Formats: sequence, structure tokens, C-alpha cells
Amino acid sequence: MKAWKVATIVGLAGFSLLVLVPFWWIASMSFKTYEQIQFAQSIYVPRPFTWENYTGLWLDTRFPLWLRNSAITAVVVTAITTVIACLSGYAVARLRFPGRESVASLILILYLVPPALLFIPLYRVLAELGATNSLWSLFLSYPTFTVPFCTWLLIGFFKALPTELEEAALVDGANRTQALVRVLLPLAAPGIVASAIFAFTLSWNEFLYALIFIQDEKSITVPVGLNLLIYGDVFHWGQLMAASVITTVPVVALYMFIHRWMVEGLAAGSVKG
Amino acid sequence: MLVVGLIAYPFYRAVSLSFTDKLVGYPERWVGLRNYIYLVNDDTFRTVVRNSLVFTVASVALKILTGIAMALVLNATWRWRNFFRGLLLLPWITSTVIIALTWRWMFDAFPGRGFFNSVLLDAGLLSRPIAFMATPEGAMAAVVIANWWRGFPFFGVSYLAGMQSIPGELYEAASVDGASAWRRFWHITLPGLKHVIIVTTLLTFIFTINDFNIVYVMTRGGPGTATQVFATYSYEVAFNALRWGRGVTISIFVVPLLIALIPLVSRYLLRERTA
Repeated sequence: MKAWKVATIVGLAGFSLLVLVPFWWIASMSFKTYEQIQFAQSIYVPRPFTWENYTGLWLDTRFPLWLRNSAITAVVVTAITTVIACLSGYAVARLRFPGRESVASLILILYLVPPALLFIPLYRVLAELGATNSLWSLFLSYPTFTVPFCTWLLIGFFKALPTELEEAALVDGANRTQALVRVLLPLAAPGIVASAIFAFTLSWNEFLYALIFIQDEKSITVPVGLNLLIYGDVFHWGQLMAASVITTVPVVALYMFIHRWMVEGLAAGSVKG
Repeated sequence: MLVVGLIAYPFYRAVSLSFTDKLVGYPERWVGLRNYIYLVNDDTFRTVVRNSLVFTVASVALKILTGIAMALVLNATWRWRNFFRGLLLLPWITSTVIIALTWRWMFDAFPGRGFFNSVLLDAGLLSRPIAFMATPEGAMAAVVIANWWRGFPFFGVSYLAGMQSIPGELYEAASVDGASAWRRFWHITLPGLKHVIIVTTLLTFIFTINDFNIVYVMTRGGPGTATQVFATYSYEVAFNALRWGRGVTISIFVVPLLIALIPLVSRYLLRERTA
């Protein structure tokens, strides 16, 4: 059995390195000076260590504005998604109405339709609505992928909850809305939090729609802004790395906080083995 | 229902647009199947189809193999398993754009920016830097690696969940019968994972064949058209060449594949829901 233990440790170390090295490369570059990057000095550790990329990014570029746009979009989309997904998830899981099963498969199919298929016509529709070039285009388009995904997750969560509690509430004279708000939602809270975090992460990371629907440099989100930084100003490598670090940190922090829920949510909701 | 509208209506518009020669700024004219015929005979489009398939098949195959290895390692981990599972999932939650940027720098031709060049030069294994992404093969390999790195943790975690649901008695019985570790893996673990392997493969296939972010950020489809795939070519034709009708038609070529695959995935996913 000794050999298996050694193999496991080697495997764990290998996978950890594989995952961490690229992150470390970006993070360490974000603390290097321009000369250090340009002339490949002290490649393994940032020495001298500098914050100049972060301060430069914050003061000299529009990054703070992009960050704000991303945050607003993610929060608004998460709010819209959570409300719609809770209601529709509840409806499919609990209410009896004709065609309930086909609604469930329809939601799944909608989730699987890739954005790459829809971006051109969606752009035209949004342009006709006058929503392009503002964050409104994202508030309207992101729910097309967050709502089906989160609804699908929540159907699973609602179905897994025992029906007795709700029935007891109904017998005691509560109406459907009260039963949902007072009894079922608190019980499903872990699932709702997990689905909200998914919605947040999906909107925070989205690139294609944001790239196409918004041209105004003041209204773009972080992923699009990062692309401008690469092709726009070739000299500020360090700032680009700093921007990548700043963008990744909130999602990683959120994720560490609820990582177990997320994994279980995934297992229960989408791809249980 | 609003959401259904926001998907169904654009889809209908996409199909109708594909039968026109819509150029930005001009009214659209009905041209029937001309866009389709043009693309079928277009050399660039054939390259795009081939690139998309190479990109997708290579990424998915690598993800399955690495995913199984990762799940086996995690399954054999006796302490800190949740910690490592969380750690290894990091690429999967990171923004694809950032991953693409990261790998762009990893492969960068300049030492100091490019990880591989820096390390190999520093170790004295290279005498001068290599421009990894300047050749068609190198660029394709780079986008495949970035996509693989982003996706394999999800496969690993899904397979781990699958492995943990295989009853332990099966392994004990097999050990008693004298089955080797390899035979136990081949006859118990793999069949037990069949379902989850099929689901993850189909899901990822659908999303990878339509991938835009990694290719666009890393190579913009280049050098030449060496890494141009469906989504990036469609974007290029629609938003750089401003031929919307043709751009939409490119993405419509994927629809038959989706029509075949999506009901298949749905059936698998719905079956486990009701089970």
C-alpha cells in the first residue's frame, strides 16, 4: 500500500502545481517593475517588489469604472435571476399544471443553446429596443443564460425538500405565497445562495455579449476592458496582470466562502453521477 | 416566458437573416440559400470546420483523461480531500478571458513575459526564445491547452462524485476474487462512471464547439486562419466584414449538431432527476 500513498501524494502535488503555476505567474508579474518584466530579471520572485502596477491601474486607466460596471451588472442580473428562478423553479417543482414536464425540458434546452448562436440576432433585437451601448443590454441579455441554469438548479433543490412542512402550513390556513415565503424559501436558502453565486459568477465573467453590445468605453465591463488593455497599450504588462488579479479575487473569495455548497449544488442540480 | 422570448425570437431572426444578404447600413434582400452555398464552397469556412473539430475533440479527450486521473488521485486522498478539491477547481471558476490572457503570457515569445521561455532559458535548456504561438500547430496547441486547463477540474470533480457513489462492496468482492488494481478499475470504476462521462462529454462538446472567448483572446483566430473556429469566424464576418447575413449562417451550420445532441443530453439529465 506504501506505493499507492506515494503515487497519491505525487499526483496531488502534480495537479496542485499544474493549477497554481499559471496563477502564480500572473500574480508575481503584477508585482514586478516594468524593467523586471522587460529584461527578464529575477523571473521567479518579484524583486524589487512594487505596487506601482496597482496604483497605475487605479489612477491612470478606466479600470475602476469598468469594475463598477461589472459589479452593477452582476448584482442586477443576480437579483433578476434569483427572483425569476425561485418562482419558476417552485412552479415546476411543486405546482401541478399541464405540460409541467415539458417546461422542465424546455428550461434545460434553453440552458444548452450556446450564446455564440444568438449574438448577432440578439444584437439586432437590442438595437431595435434602443438598449445597446448601455448596461441595459446586459441586464436584458444575461438572464437568457442565467435564468435557465439557476431554475434548473432550483427545481432540484425544491424537489428534494419534504412536502409535509408546506402541506402543514397550507392546512394551518396559510396561502400558497405564505407557504412559499415563510416555509419553503428558508429551507431552500442554501440552494438559493448557491444559485445566486452562480448567476453572479456567470455575469461577472461573461465576455461575448459584453464585447458586442457595448462600444462606449465608459460602459464596458472588466473582461472587455482587459482586452482593450492588451491591444491598446502594449507597454503596461504589469497593469494588465494587476487587473487580472483584482478581477479574480472577488470570485475566488466568494467561492471559498461557499465552495462546499457549490459542489453539492452542482452534484444535486446538474450532473449527479 | 420572457426568457423564452428572448431566446426564441432572436433564433427566429437568425434563421431569417441567414437567407438575406444583410450588410450593415443596407436593407436586407432575400437571397435564398446563397449564403449557405457560398460557405460550403468557401475554403476558409472548411478550415473553420476542421479547426473547430480539432479544437473540440482534442480538448474534450484531454479533459476526460486528466479528469479521470484527477478523480482517482482525489479519491485516494485520505486527508484534506475537500481542500484539494476546492483548490483544483480554481481554474473552473476563473473568468475564461483571464485564463486566456494567462496562457497567452505563459506561451509568450518574450522571456520575462512568457513563462516557458523564461524558465527554459533560465535553466539553460534553450539558447533563444521560441515563438510558440507563431506556427499554426503551436497556436492550435496553445488554445487547446488553455481550454483543457480551464475544463479538466470540472470533469475531475464530477468523476469523483461518480466514483464515490460506486458501492465499496464491489471492490471488496473483486479483491477477494483476486482482481488486480487495473482490472478493478477497468471492470468496476469505468462502468460505474459511464453515465457521468457521457453527460460531461456531451455538455462540454456543445459548449466547446461554440467557444469564442479562448480563441478570440489568445489568437484572434490566427496566425492566418489556423485557429479560426465557428464563433470567432462568425464574429469576424459579422462585425469586421459587416456581412451579417453570412455571419449568422456560419453559426447556423452548428444547429443540426445541436439538434442531435441537446435532446440526448436532456434525456440523460432528466432521467437522473426522476430516478
